[in-house]
Amino acid sequence: MLAWFGYLFLILPSLIVVPVSFGGGEELQFPPKSLSLELYARFFADPAWWGAARQSFIVATLTTLIALLLAVPAAYALARTRFRGRRFFELVVLAPMLTPVIVLGLGLYIDFGALQLIGTTTSMVLAHSVLVVPFAFVAVTAGLRQIDPALETVSMVMGAGRARIFFEVVLPQIKAPLMVAALFAFLISFDEVVVAYFLAGPKTTTLPVKMYSAIRWEISPVLAAVSTLLTAISLAVCLGMMALQKRSP
Amino acid sequence: MYHAILDAKAVALLLGPLCLLLAAFFVHPLLLVAWTSVGSGRLGFDAYASLAKSTLFLRVLANTFEISALATLVSLVLGYVIALHIAHASPRRRTLYLVMIMLPFWTSILVKSFAFMVVLGDQGLVNRALASLSNGAVHLEMIFNRAGVVIGMVNYLLPFMVLPILASLLAQDPTLHKAAEIMGAGPIRIFMRITLPLSSPGVQAGVLMNMTLAMGMYITPALLGGRRDMMLANLVDFYTRQTLDWNAASAIAIVLLVISGVFIALLARAGGTRNVLEQAHA
Repeated sequence: MLAWFGYLFLILPSLIVVPVSFGGGEELQFPPKSLSLELYARFFADPAWWGAARQSFIVATLTTLIALLLAVPAAYALARTRFRGRRFFELVVLAPMLTPVIVLGLGLYIDFGALQLIGTTTSMVLAHSVLVVPFAFVAVTAGLRQIDPALETVSMVMGAGRARIFFEVVLPQIKAPLMVAALFAFLISFDEVVVAYFLAGPKTTTLPVKMYSAIRWEISPVLAAVSTLLTAISLAVCLGMMALQKRSP
Repeated sequence: MYHAILDAKAVALLLGPLCLLLAAFFVHPLLLVAWTSVGSGRLGFDAYASLAKSTLFLRVLANTFEISALATLVSLVLGYVIALHIAHASPRRRTLYLVMIMLPFWTSILVKSFAFMVVLGDQGLVNRALASLSNGAVHLEMIFNRAGVVIGMVNYLLPFMVLPILASLLAQDPTLHKAAEIMGAGPIRIFMRITLPLSSPGVQAGVLMNMTLAMGMYITPALLGGRRDMMLANLVDFYTRQTLDWNAASAIAIVLLVISGVFIALLARAGGTRNVLEQAHA
């Protein structure tokens, strides 16, 4: 009984926004009196909303690229070597995940303020890369543990160069974990609000920042449509990951 | 010892870029916060001394501990029940339950906060249902107060409680339970003497993880709490943006960082960091 209450408590908030978003009108209604796409129309008609969504998409895409480019080589190096201080490296890479976001947000605000980079896409992408790298690192490391390093040794004995081994032996074997890492990175960046709130300028407002101020200052019904779109993205990512994990051994 | 393929130079090349990013945009900003907290070296520990005397800071600090502890406690009770339920389900249903645990984990905290406003608000679902059942006699204030923050936080923390407890439940040898049953122990006794003690590593990891996350929460208290439910993270933001007192903001941030550090150290000692993180993201 209590367990079912728990499940309901967990999923209800994510799902309740869906019917509300099709209600239309000035007031939030549940159950909706009539079905309409009006709130979605308003979302796409308002450049402040879809512009923020576009900015979030750009930031999340660039963040994902940078995070993977940095995390994959590092994860490979740490998975295949045993040297003193390796544990320390791992701890440093994972640390951003455990640091209170507000502390890092404040630090980046002071840092990028001095560099005159507040309000730029660059600062946002760099900040998000730091936040996202640990997750990508964990996902890739888990993938690398599943594969047999002997294959790489064999390839070397057969005369393949390092680059060729990495691209033709290692990477193809960790395709699924790489996809998981990319989905992770994209979604975390896309949904991130605290650091973005510190770094966003008028032209670089992301969707979560816009949403945060909209919830704080005026509860606009458009929020229901935005929330539904975000939940749909989360659900897609969640199902995508489950499918990928089923495929990998 | 190095792997045959990678020598020291290759390892340095592979690790270098990531280390640069983290040095420039993780370690450096944190050092800047520490440096700002001592007034860039000019003020020494003045900011900390005035925090110790500030009633606002002390009240917010107490709030932060109270709210976090309460949310963790609720999350522990609910999380344990859910973990038990999942552990006893058939593998097929277990997947379904796990999706239900993981979906909120992936939902934006803003969506969840907004949803709680729709559900728990003044004109929200629960209050309208109560009003129509009781002819308008019953009305609950569930947001913009302590209850709202705790409800929102438990919703966020629950997956981090369920996963480690579930892992420690699944790791238990089922023959132990069978043996106890044959020897005549009732279900309550089996739970108290076997299940519960054996799950204590999971409980420890879950509680510490919950506390670490709860202490640093920003969005939930800002959106679902009232003026008197401000937490440390909100106070940092308040000093940064409202009063522009970066010195005080940084000192509070360092206090928060140290508190989280203590919880993380405890978590690492309980052997949990890696496991919890890997379960959460596996």
